[in-house]
Amino acid sequence: MASTSERRGIPAAAFVKDVHDFLLQYDGNPGTCLTALQEKLQQYKLAEMKLLGQKRDLLAKIPDMRKCLQIVELMMHKKGNQEAMTMDFEVAEGIYAQAEFRDTETVCLWLGANVMLEYKCEEAQELLTRNLDTANKSLKSIVEDLHFLRDQMTITEVTIARVYNWDVHQRRKQRAIRPEAETAVA
Amino acid sequence: MQQGDGVETEVTWEDQQNINAFGRLNNKFHELEDTIKAKKDMTDNLEDASNELILADDPEVRYLVGEVFTHLAVDEVEERLEALKEVNSQELESLQEEKAEVIAKMAALKKTLYGKFGDSINLEED
Repeated sequence: MASTSERRGIPAAAFVKDVHDFLLQYDGNPGTCLTALQEKLQQYKLAEMKLLGQKRDLLAKIPDMRKCLQIVELMMHKKGNQEAMTMDFEVAEGIYAQAEFRDTETVCLWLGANVMLEYKCEEAQELLTRNLDTANKSLKSIVEDLHFLRDQMTITEVTIARVYNWDVHQRRKQRAIRPEAETAVA
Repeated sequence: MQQGDGVETEVTWEDQQNINAFGRLNNKFHELEDTIKAKKDMTDNLEDASNELILADDPEVRYLVGEVFTHLAVDEVEERLEALKEVNSQELESLQEEKAEVIAKMAALKKTLYGKFGDSINLEED
C-alpha cells in the first residue's frame, strides 16, 4: 500500500515520520497544519460518500439482474415440455393477470432507451450473465477503492492526533521551563 | 484518539499500517455482521416456506421467480427450496468462518497496538 501514490485520482495521504520536521512545511505552526489536515480529511470523506453511493446503486441493481436471469433459466428449464405453464404477472401495482406460457425459443430483453430486442434463450442467458459479471466486478473494484480511501483517512486522522499531541507536549515543555508564562497566558 | 495526554510515543510506518489494518478489519466486521443477519433471515424465511408447503392442500402453488408468480407443482417447489437452503447454509457457514478470522486478527492487532501505545490509543467501539 505504501508504494501507491494515488488510486483513481484519489491522492494517497503521506505518512509523517517526524512531526517536528513535518511542521516546518507550515512554518512550525500546528494550527495551520491541523486546519490543512482537517480539510484533507473532509475531501476524503466527500470521495467516500460518492463511492458509497455508487456501491449502493450497484447493490440495488445486482438482485434485479439476478431476477432476470432466473426467469430466463426457468424458461430454458421448461423447454421441450409440452405442457403450458401458468404464471401470474403484475399488470399494474397490486393487479395481477394470468398468462399461459408455452415452449419458446426466444425471449425479449429490454435494453433501455426504448429498445427491446428478441434473443434466443441461450444468448439472453449469456448476455445477462455477462452483465451480472461486469456489475460484480465493478462492485469489487469500488470496494477496493473504499479500502484504499479508508486507509488514507486513517493515516490523516492519526496524523491529526499526532500533531495535536505534539503541540500539547510542546506547550507543557515550555511551561515547565518558564512557569511565569503560564500566569501571563491565563 | 485525540485525548492524548501529551506523552510522546513515536509512531512508525509499521504502527500506522497496523492501525490501518485494524480500521479495515473493523469495517469488514460490521459488514459481515450485516450480511450474516440477512442470511439468517433468509434461512428463517426458507424454513417458513417449507413448513407452509407441507400444509398446502393444493397440488400446485405459486412460486415467485423474478417478478412473476409461476404455478408450479408442490414437489418441484420443494426441490427448489431445498436447493436454496443448501446454498444459503453453505454461504452462511463460510461467512461465519470469515467473521471468526476477522475477530482473531483484530484481537492480535489490539494486543500489539495496546502493547505499544497503552492508554494513548483507543480501539474500542463507543
